[in-house]
Amino acid sequence: MSDLTLGSRHLSPGAKAALGAFARYGTIIGLLAMIAAFSILSPRAFPTLNNFTNVLNQASLAMIIAGGLTLAVIVGELDLSIGFAASFHGILVTGLIVQNDLPIPIAILLVVALGAFIGLVNGFIVTKMRVNSVIATLGVGTIITGAAFAYSAGVPIVSGVPEAFLQLSLGRWLFDIPNNIVIMVLVLGFLWLLVERTDIGQQIQAVGGNAAAARLAGINVDRVKTLGFVISGMCAALTGILLASRLGSGTTSAADSYLLTAFAAVFLGSATLRDGEFHILGTLVGALIIAIGFNGLNIFGAPTYSQYVFQGAILIVAVGMSSLGRVLAES
Amino acid sequence: MNDLNASDTQTRMGTATSPFVVARDITKSFGGAKALKGVSIDIVPGEVHGLVGANGAGKSTLIKILAGLVHPDGGTLAIDGKPTAIETPHQATDLGMTFIHQELAFIPGMTVLQNIMLGIPKPTRFGMVDWRAIEREVAPIAARVGITAPLGASVKGLSTAENWLINICRALVRKARLIVMDEPTASLSASEAEKLFTIVRDLSASGVAVLYVSHRLDEILDLCGRVTVFRDGQSVGELSGNALTRQGLVEAIVGGVPLHHPPTRHAIAGSKVVLSVQNLARAPRVRGISFDLHEGEVLGLGGLVGAGRTELVRLIYGADASDHGIMTLDGKPFAPRTPHAAVKAGLGLVPEERRAEGLILTKSLAFNVSLANLRRIIVSPALPIINGRARTNLALDTIRALSIKTEGPETHVGRLSGGNQQKVVIGRWLQRAPRVLILDEPTRGVDVGARGEIHRLIRSLAEKGQAILVVSSEPDELPDVCDRVLVMAEGRIVRELAGDAVSRTAIVEASYAEDKHNQRKSA
Repeated sequence: MSDLTLGSRHLSPGAKAALGAFARYGTIIGLLAMIAAFSILSPRAFPTLNNFTNVLNQASLAMIIAGGLTLAVIVGELDLSIGFAASFHGILVTGLIVQNDLPIPIAILLVVALGAFIGLVNGFIVTKMRVNSVIATLGVGTIITGAAFAYSAGVPIVSGVPEAFLQLSLGRWLFDIPNNIVIMVLVLGFLWLLVERTDIGQQIQAVGGNAAAARLAGINVDRVKTLGFVISGMCAALTGILLASRLGSGTTSAADSYLLTAFAAVFLGSATLRDGEFHILGTLVGALIIAIGFNGLNIFGAPTYSQYVFQGAILIVAVGMSSLGRVLAES
Repeated sequence: MNDLNASDTQTRMGTATSPFVVARDITKSFGGAKALKGVSIDIVPGEVHGLVGANGAGKSTLIKILAGLVHPDGGTLAIDGKPTAIETPHQATDLGMTFIHQELAFIPGMTVLQNIMLGIPKPTRFGMVDWRAIEREVAPIAARVGITAPLGASVKGLSTAENWLINICRALVRKARLIVMDEPTASLSASEAEKLFTIVRDLSASGVAVLYVSHRLDEILDLCGRVTVFRDGQSVGELSGNALTRQGLVEAIVGGVPLHHPPTRHAIAGSKVVLSVQNLARAPRVRGISFDLHEGEVLGLGGLVGAGRTELVRLIYGADASDHGIMTLDGKPFAPRTPHAAVKAGLGLVPEERRAEGLILTKSLAFNVSLANLRRIIVSPALPIINGRARTNLALDTIRALSIKTEGPETHVGRLSGGNQQKVVIGRWLQRAPRVLILDEPTRGVDVGARGEIHRLIRSLAEKGQAILVVSSEPDELPDVCDRVLVMAEGRIVRELAGDAVSRTAIVEASYAEDKHNQRKSA
């Protein structure tokens, strides 16, 4: 049995069922276990409504950008430009408001439209120029970072940010629920509906499942893939705007780290409930795991470097579980 | 059918040697489904043993058990008379069994020799692999199986036939005692297949047993001394000697379903032209093709593998760009740049490679059927949300209309048999009622029963006025369904056959006549 590998076909049926259950429910069990452990270890600080609201509020930004990324990965591509793009969008939206005196709603709309445009460019490079999406979006992301430095000269835009813009992220306009959470629920709800319940969603899933077959079934594969990038780009813009509002400033590289968080969430999500398939609900669970993990590390005063270790490790575990699910589904 | 079991079990070769493999009453279930309900088979050294049966009859499950990929629930398995449990593919190889599948896998960047030696311990010299010694050892074997490509050449661009030869060579280098061949001629041309048969006979003469799995009964009759027939997970007969006839095999496989009779061919004079193709070309495979397809006509495209038929169909469907040529659809200019545009204009394609190009295997039957019909199952164009009931009804409709065997509309298509998968791809288009339906190898890898059903379906669609273009490499298929046949060779139409002229012999003759002509020219 020296050649026994995970997911190979000569596992006993019992072991296979157990592995299958781990691959499908492991993330949810892990999430519950983490909540239970932190609740026992820190009964006063962790299991409070206040803390949970806080965690969800913090996590909302990551959930939105990861929700967008989910669309890009469902159509079978990767979007590495989202973190850099979100940073740029944050600077741009504050700049438009502070330096160009644009009304806040107009500035936001412009920036979201720019996010869509960046997605369009990514889609064009990948589908028409046939550049691998990793390279295409890494290149576009790097160009965007350059644009961000050019626009801000590397100096954060701090002064003169109006209170009304800060309230976008900090306010509680609906039933005393933080705005971030409300916006996140609306965005992810919309994305879920789009993917799971619309004709476009069926096309998105078909393209991801087998692009060649989808093309011959008459689906415009290039357009569907581009749509995935556009949505990914718009969600990145939204996260960048909300981050700028929360920080009260436009800072270069402020949102770069969301790239890794989003990928970890998306891959954890694909190992949730479905066999290695990307889906919005899974991404939500994935982002929650990361947020609660960070929260726990904070509460216990773990050093900053441990957050990097946690995030790197969880990304690897997530991708591993995701492919385990796929292998088991195929055997 | 009982007399089949009682038929004499002496092989044609009359071998008295003790069997290499003896399987008795093997059972296997996947989830709730019984794939094998008790199959038995004996394989004797040096025989070519046929294994036939409808898709889903359990052939592949038995092969997977022999290969150590699947473990039986019950029954006994003996190798060389010793009871053996084959736990891993590695063990199966050590026991002397090699498996050659329909989908052959090589490492494209490597040479022929490197691919032959993959996974085989290699002699070394000063710590490095001694390729020269290996080549000395392999070269005679390669010559014996008829590999013409130099051993040092890259496997990239080699034909399927050559890939088969490389695999057989690999088996011989491993000193295999049993070679299992699964649908070996599915993508070989007739002349390539002939070469393969010679090698199979040669293997058999040298004492290697071959388990030959195929839907092509003529090959089975030609090659095999004994044939085991599976039906619904049971072995229903072992035929040999005088009992081994085409009629006997078909009866055993189908179990009493009446055979399909060739259609009455319709004359197309006077019917409306639906699709007209003028001088369509894409170098080097398609070199100026012109034809008309009429309402209610089944038009066949015959010829050898590589004659340019699939490439032509892809041009018509907008999957590849043409160099030049004009098409009209219902009299209007038709120049699709993508399949999307072709589908919108009214075409539908059932592609050659069902699993790679026809289906989203990880999705359900309903999902796959609805793909070309999404506009029909949404609430309204303004609210493009899928109406769950409309989607289910669409799927149920298709299941009923094509008698697809499935647990229900939400069953994953990956779990259906080949014939039923094919019906799903066809069903997707029927729901859309395209102006032109193109079927590329509609019954490849499909069992005899489903094949007849698909043929009857094609005929009945044509009766209703559907224009159909059928590509097929199986010599029997086109005469069974077509009103008219165009035979292609080297990217051109070399013969048009209509009415009584449509026959297996005429198609084969036309395909080869051109082939020989070209060979002479190039020589």
